[in-house]
Amino acid sequence: MRTFLDRLYSLSGAIAAAFICAITLIVLAQVLANLIDSVASMVLGAPFGLVVPSYANFAGYFLTGATFFALPYALKRGAHIRVTLVIQALGPKTRQVVEVWCILVGLAIAGFFTWYTFGLVAASYRYGDMSTGMVAIPIWIPQGALVLGGAVLTIALLDELVVALRGGTPAHERANVGILADVSEAERDTDAGRGGRG
Amino acid sequence: MDEVWLGILLVVVLFALLGSGVWVAFSLFGVGLVAMELFTGAPVGRVLATSVWGASNSWALAALPLFIWMGEILFRSRLSADLFGGLAPWMGRIPGRLMHVNILGCSIFAAVSGSSAATAATIGRMSLPELTKRGYDETMSIGTLAGSGTLGLLIPPSIILIVYGVAIEESIARLFVAGILPGLVLVLLFMGYVVLWSLMHPERTPPREPPMPLKQKIWQSRRLIPVVLLILGVIGSIYIGIASPTDAAAVGVFLALVLSWLSGTLTRQSFVDGLMGATRTSCMIAFILAGASFLTSAMGFTGIPRMLAEWIATPGLSTYGLLAALTLFFVVLGCFLDGISLVVLTTAVILPVVEAAGIDRIWFGIYLVIVVEMSQITPPVGFNLFVLQGLTGRNILQVAVAALPFFFILVLGVVLLVAFPELALWLPEKMAQMQS
Repeated sequence: MRTFLDRLYSLSGAIAAAFICAITLIVLAQVLANLIDSVASMVLGAPFGLVVPSYANFAGYFLTGATFFALPYALKRGAHIRVTLVIQALGPKTRQVVEVWCILVGLAIAGFFTWYTFGLVAASYRYGDMSTGMVAIPIWIPQGALVLGGAVLTIALLDELVVALRGGTPAHERANVGILADVSEAERDTDAGRGGRG
Repeated sequence: MDEVWLGILLVVVLFALLGSGVWVAFSLFGVGLVAMELFTGAPVGRVLATSVWGASNSWALAALPLFIWMGEILFRSRLSADLFGGLAPWMGRIPGRLMHVNILGCSIFAAVSGSSAATAATIGRMSLPELTKRGYDETMSIGTLAGSGTLGLLIPPSIILIVYGVAIEESIARLFVAGILPGLVLVLLFMGYVVLWSLMHPERTPPREPPMPLKQKIWQSRRLIPVVLLILGVIGSIYIGIASPTDAAAVGVFLALVLSWLSGTLTRQSFVDGLMGATRTSCMIAFILAGASFLTSAMGFTGIPRMLAEWIATPGLSTYGLLAALTLFFVVLGCFLDGISLVVLTTAVILPVVEAAGIDRIWFGIYLVIVVEMSQITPPVGFNLFVLQGLTGRNILQVAVAALPFFFILVLGVVLLVAFPELALWLPEKMAQMQS
């Protein structure tokens, strides 16, 4: 079960990362098309009119995918920021109670979020809503990222709750070096760098 | 129920959630839920789903993960060594010498990165050991880094300005361009302070290193060429209007990858690390923005921002008074909250007030960023302090004391911005004229 869940979070993180690569590629393709067109209008006097169809819409949809698929992965890695000033000062017993409270609040909101975004997607599906633009796709497909990401986030929070209730340290806390993700990254890297240089 | 009491209750709920350690994004959702459930008859769940969907699929916001990724790639490249090697030979004559490398290095890196913590970390990990080895005053080295690291937020690209621009639906390109001049002014103020300090404490600056012949200096500076090209390509293309920030960010990622490949630092491992780091950070920020957009809708239903705006609009409080009060409020709040939360809370609640007072949205964005910069170097929660704590092993209070003069310089920066609003507004106007 542990392995399965951890793989699920890594998988959702990998999907999110793939979406970020996809944003880069689709935007680069459009930039390249613009470049070719401006060269063409200089050389030939007229542009080809190259354009990646609906690239702006798709970049937005990919971003939704990247954000929501990354949610559980970012949670487990302690990337979501929180104010730890008060809870750092608490004793281990109280801290555990507060930690359970935080997870419960998160769980309630994630569950609520998943339920109602599912409602949104179901409505889009039922009414056959399409995206606007040159390439119209059913809008429930990109909206589905909200539901899937929300659902895995809910599972991840349940997982954290079970760990915390058993008296263990939830993963988001173990990973939480700094508060801002890039700070903890930077610290970890410089520490590693120092170790490497000896 | 009276709107005033409702407002107070919501503030209490917000601080209870944040203070007890609930994740910032969840806290924003939580306050929005409480506000709507208790005080309106609107369908909460539907509002939540549509506002989150609306806020998350945005072309403008797509620049966010890309600029973060670009910073992550460059952080792992040889850029920090190149910046140090290229800048150091030129600083011999200026009082304060190599300490200016911290300031200039940070401002150059700020022009390719949107995060202040990343800026301080990238420059600091190279320059701090070098400066310590040469016997520079440690407090001053730490202070210059903490202070000028905050430029990462103001000099475009800027993560905070993307967040602000997306939240208030303002042109991110114009916000970016508005940040350039105030950023340069801060660079000059920081350098001026270091010059003054060194003239007053000549004994605390190590002697000058043997001067390098001019030819060799210029040869050393070739190491700056790639990063300068990168800056010109990214910011220049936004300024002259051939690229939107999102286009520029994608090109930036591509060029950063090429640069890091050419310098031999691009490995499978560094690629994956950078990409996953960007995935996490951008997810964190975009989720906070999603929470904030729901909170903004919820606030609209309660009518609180409208009430605040009417209250402020009644005569008695001047614009200067309002800004002074806001600055104080942000500085205090910034001691406990990070910059992004500060910005999204502002846009959800305070922006109508600001607009009612007749303050320009672009100008206010730049003002907000400088105030947020202050919050980066005030204890107990200041991200640049955490970074320098990690780099130096000094405790956070020592780092904060070292950064204190730079906090006051930022205050001076705000005063200058209020006195001369053109600092932020002149370039965007020029840009608009040029593009029309």
